[in-house]
Amino acid sequence: MSTSFYIGALELATGAVLVCAVMTLWRRQVRTIVTMLRLQGVALACVAGVLAWHEHDLGLAITALLVLAVKGVLVPWLLRRVIRRDPRSRETAPLINVPASLVSAAFLIVVSYVVTSKLTALAPSAATRLVPIGVATVLVGYFMLVTRRRAVSQIVGLLLVDNGIALVTFLLTAGVPLIVELGSTLDVLLVVVVLQVLVVNTGARHGSFDLDEMRELHD
Amino acid sequence: MTDIGSSLGYGFIASLMQVVLVAIGGPLLMGLMAKVRARAEGRVGAPIYQPLRDLRKLMAKEGLRARYSSVVLAAAPLVVLGSTTLAVAISPLVTTHPLLSASSDLFVIVYLLLTGSITMALAGLDTGTAFGGMGSSRAITIGALAEPALLVAVIALSIQARTSNLPTIVADTITHPVWTSTPTRLLALVALVIVVIAETGRLPVDNPNTHLELTMIHEAMTLEYAGSDLGLITLGAAMRLGLLFTLLVNLFVPWGVATGSSVLGLLAAVVFLVLKTSLLAVVVSLIEVHSAKLRLFRVPELLAGGFVLAVLAVITELVTR
Amino acid sequence: MVLFMAGLGCCVLGVVAATVISLERRVIVVTLVGSVGCLLTFTAASQVLVSGRAESFHSSLVLPLAGINLTLDPLGALFVAMTSFVGVATLVYCVGYARGELRSRSALSLLLVFLMSLLVVPAASSVVTLMFFWELMALSSMLLIMVEQRRRVETRVAAQWYGAMTQLGAASILLGLLLLSTKGGQTFGDIRSHVAALSPTLRSFAFVLTLIGFASKAGAVPFHVWLPKAHPEAPSPVSALMSSAMVAMGVYGIVRVGNDLLGGGTLWWWIIVVALGVVSALFGALHAVTSVDLKRLLAYSTIDILGLVLIGVGCSGALAASGHPRTAHLALIGALLLVVSHAAFKGCLFLGVGAIERATGSRSLDHLGGLIRRIPISTALFVVGALSIVAVPAFSGFTSEWLLLQGLLHGFVGKSSPTLIMLLVGVVALALTGGLTAVAFVKVIGIGFLGQARSTAAASAHEVPRTMQIGMGILCIPCVVLGVAPGIVIPLLNRAIQTGHSSSVSRPVETGIGLSLVHLRGAIEPMLLLAGFVVIVAVIAGANSIRRRPARKVEAWRGGGDRPTARMQYTATSYAEPLQRVFADVLRPEIDVEVTHAVESHYYEQSLSYESRVGDAIERLAYQPAIRAVTRVGLAARRIQNGSVHRYLAFGFIALLIILVVLA
Repeated sequence: MSTSFYIGALELATGAVLVCAVMTLWRRQVRTIVTMLRLQGVALACVAGVLAWHEHDLGLAITALLVLAVKGVLVPWLLRRVIRRDPRSRETAPLINVPASLVSAAFLIVVSYVVTSKLTALAPSAATRLVPIGVATVLVGYFMLVTRRRAVSQIVGLLLVDNGIALVTFLLTAGVPLIVELGSTLDVLLVVVVLQVLVVNTGARHGSFDLDEMRELHD
Repeated sequence: MTDIGSSLGYGFIASLMQVVLVAIGGPLLMGLMAKVRARAEGRVGAPIYQPLRDLRKLMAKEGLRARYSSVVLAAAPLVVLGSTTLAVAISPLVTTHPLLSASSDLFVIVYLLLTGSITMALAGLDTGTAFGGMGSSRAITIGALAEPALLVAVIALSIQARTSNLPTIVADTITHPVWTSTPTRLLALVALVIVVIAETGRLPVDNPNTHLELTMIHEAMTLEYAGSDLGLITLGAAMRLGLLFTLLVNLFVPWGVATGSSVLGLLAAVVFLVLKTSLLAVVVSLIEVHSAKLRLFRVPELLAGGFVLAVLAVITELVTR
Repeated sequence: MVLFMAGLGCCVLGVVAATVISLERRVIVVTLVGSVGCLLTFTAASQVLVSGRAESFHSSLVLPLAGINLTLDPLGALFVAMTSFVGVATLVYCVGYARGELRSRSALSLLLVFLMSLLVVPAASSVVTLMFFWELMALSSMLLIMVEQRRRVETRVAAQWYGAMTQLGAASILLGLLLLSTKGGQTFGDIRSHVAALSPTLRSFAFVLTLIGFASKAGAVPFHVWLPKAHPEAPSPVSALMSSAMVAMGVYGIVRVGNDLLGGGTLWWWIIVVALGVVSALFGALHAVTSVDLKRLLAYSTIDILGLVLIGVGCSGALAASGHPRTAHLALIGALLLVVSHAAFKGCLFLGVGAIERATGSRSLDHLGGLIRRIPISTALFVVGALSIVAVPAFSGFTSEWLLLQGLLHGFVGKSSPTLIMLLVGVVALALTGGLTAVAFVKVIGIGFLGQARSTAAASAHEVPRTMQIGMGILCIPCVVLGVAPGIVIPLLNRAIQTGHSSSVSRPVETGIGLSLVHLRGAIEPMLLLAGFVVIVAVIAGANSIRRRPARKVEAWRGGGDRPTARMQYTATSYAEPLQRVFADVLRPEIDVEVTHAVESHYYEQSLSYESRVGDAIERLAYQPAIRAVTRVGLAARRIQNGSVHRYLAFGFIALLIILVVLA
């Protein structure tokens, strides 16, 4: 694989991860948000795949497949099941409205560029230069976690953070050992399953996925 | 000396060609989009050249102007059409050497189009009717919110090419085909598509076929015109659409634009441009079929999305260089 | 220098004339003498700008102890020339404008004192001279704000705010400059030669102190609160001088201290400047959009434009600090060109509002409308200023913003990431304000001058005296000339920026009629663009008028209803309402809606009143608590002062004892 093609493909896939994160802030339909998450999983798998191809690393290639299976297929499918009860549900009134969220996202992206510039300067390479994008994904995910009301969007926020961290590890170290990656991925899967059960059950009992309304449960 | 003379002559011919092409092609593009929409909805639809017939009819009609209007309403069609035509003449549509190509700066084009929008908004307020004011207020709001996304996207392109001179950007893209698949370009492309949809008043921002006061934006401003004034305004809007579509196409798929100085190259470029732009128009109108008009206060969300993507484009350019 | 001193002499003569000449001839004589003075200083400054040679003057007679030091170098000369130009226009305008209080001895002499101090500040070359005239400028302008205080109480509040802010700023500047002159003399030459010996901390400290003062004068957020209060309350010629010339002195001060006296400095200084600029630009633009009072709108737009200038100055400093002198110069030239063109268009706009006020008695947009038919010439002149500020191509606003943008764009080369971030934030701020400024001024023209009159005063407006139109017209000239042929002032600006970077300065912009960057790809020829536009419009108009009768005038289309009345039109408030709603989180408007229901049924409304106010959030959040705290301290201190003479005498006695003990 030629170097320029490698760099181009890596940049595109990494960019797609962040774009998907931004799109989750942008769209209100919970279904679309889950779709974005799926696309992000696929893009993340592509990043790992491109790196694996370039480094001729079999472990990384397996990780890529694993990421594709879990983050691109399994997790979105589970989330789909959660929202099946209420397929038209929308993120109607986030704590910070959508335009402001998007502008904040732009700000977060700038921040991540600032804070990681020292880090990337240590070992500049095609992959490490893209680390700011991974950090930005983490920040955007965290922002979503903080500002969205729907339980499902919050799960998505958590997964965005996870994807961002995974992206940063791929870019910085070209993948952690397979076993660690396996552990963390399955961990995420477990979290999603638990949350799914929790959300579906509370939803069935209280008829709402709105986390702000859940505050009333505490009395 | 003859070299300058011949290049000036070439530029003049090219610019004239561009103006004629967009003046005829713009309305045809509108007709094409209406046709695609009609077919997708299962109707036969008006012929593609219907907008041109409408224009001919309007130009032949008697001119009427509101009694309390001032010189602004009378001058608006000329300024709108004039500024758009100037932008068309100097942009690299079929060649990278149009007239005044040294001044064919991205910011000049953006601000020429802004001049047209400002003139329309002012003329909307000139007759002192509620409809005009409503359209003017809405259009200028959307314009003001689209401006940041547009400028930042343009800045992203300029940083990548290290110049904001439009013909240079197009020529450099032809020699560096890698640029077209960089994340910077793609993000800027998405941002620009959103802006172009907003600026040309297409769905989901504005419905070009509506006359319902709740939803009208651009149409509310054109209510004040009649006869040839309306014809010029409509032609101006069509040329604006044509210009923005062709620019979009040329910035991201620049192949076919003539870089040399042969007349044959120009003709080939025209054919390429018509094909590329028609394709874009078909795609846009298919998207339109599948989208409903946004509430006015949801439009900022769309444009803020465009803005973020444009900022992302700049950041990725800084990161990946 | 002789010419410059003669010009200042004319100003002094004008002050004398204002006090001795009788009322009938006073205005004409004073403005004539003042204009001659301004023309002389303009000529002197132009000579310096063209030749590039600085001229100095020193006298120990005028000021006691320290004496007065004046040096007209190209940087100062640029600001002197700009101020003189605005001064001439304002004085000519005054001939027709001055009525009532403004014709009094005190007001006219203060006006000339103000003008003179504005002319001397950029030429001052010692700390004492600068501070003396800086204070004179502040004091005279404060008193000028209060000229109409008998009729309008608001002027006193405005003057209080202005006085407090300007004194705090001046104290800050004084402290900063004193820190710089600790190693030796207090003239700028001494400071320049000794500055290298100062410790970096001290230098940074001095820069930040002066920056606070100068930024406050330039209306940078959060030191801006005086500006939207003071500019509207002053008489229009004074507002024009304040907004175009005095505010620019803040920028002058930053460039003089940062680039010249301190010779560049470190990156983080300029990061502060850019941050101030970005916040000011966005804040000013947003508030300008929602303002209804014309002068308040212009005041906020001054904050906006000066914010852009600070972005340019800051980015230029940062680029220079990170080793990119060429783009640094480009950005600085852009910023200075923007200052100059801002002086022209904002002066013209403020004078225009004065004309509107004279013609209609109101400066609230919601009481205007249809003025284009009543006062066509003033309208045309105002529109030139407005098109300029909106940055329509071939007007000065466009060329200067274009140059500034090119400076920022071509700065994106290095690897130094803080600089890149600043440039990024700068261009994004520039992009965000562009559209908002356009809305603000479309609103002003569309609501104020077009449509139908919203009040009887606006319906019966009369054109203002010829001299007022000439005053505005003078300021329109640079709006157009700098827009069409910006290249002609580029050599002068090149010389002006040499001052800071004395060594190895390259010309970043070619000399010519248009603008063309050296060694970088970027050029515009506004004159050719304008010619192209004119030809195209002529062809279209010609083709359109063949065999066609002029358009017939009919009633406006009314959608089947009654004849549209003036009350059915959009107002300034409703025009900007969508944007106000979009930015409600930032602007936090207070909206009162009162609905009176009909007696018969709750579903019918008899009347409805809607009121929305956009307050200054920074004033509310930062200044009001501070003022309350100061008031509390003051009240607490009153307990010490109970009015007993014995206690006061005891204070004196105790103080004396303490001093004696300390000295011993």
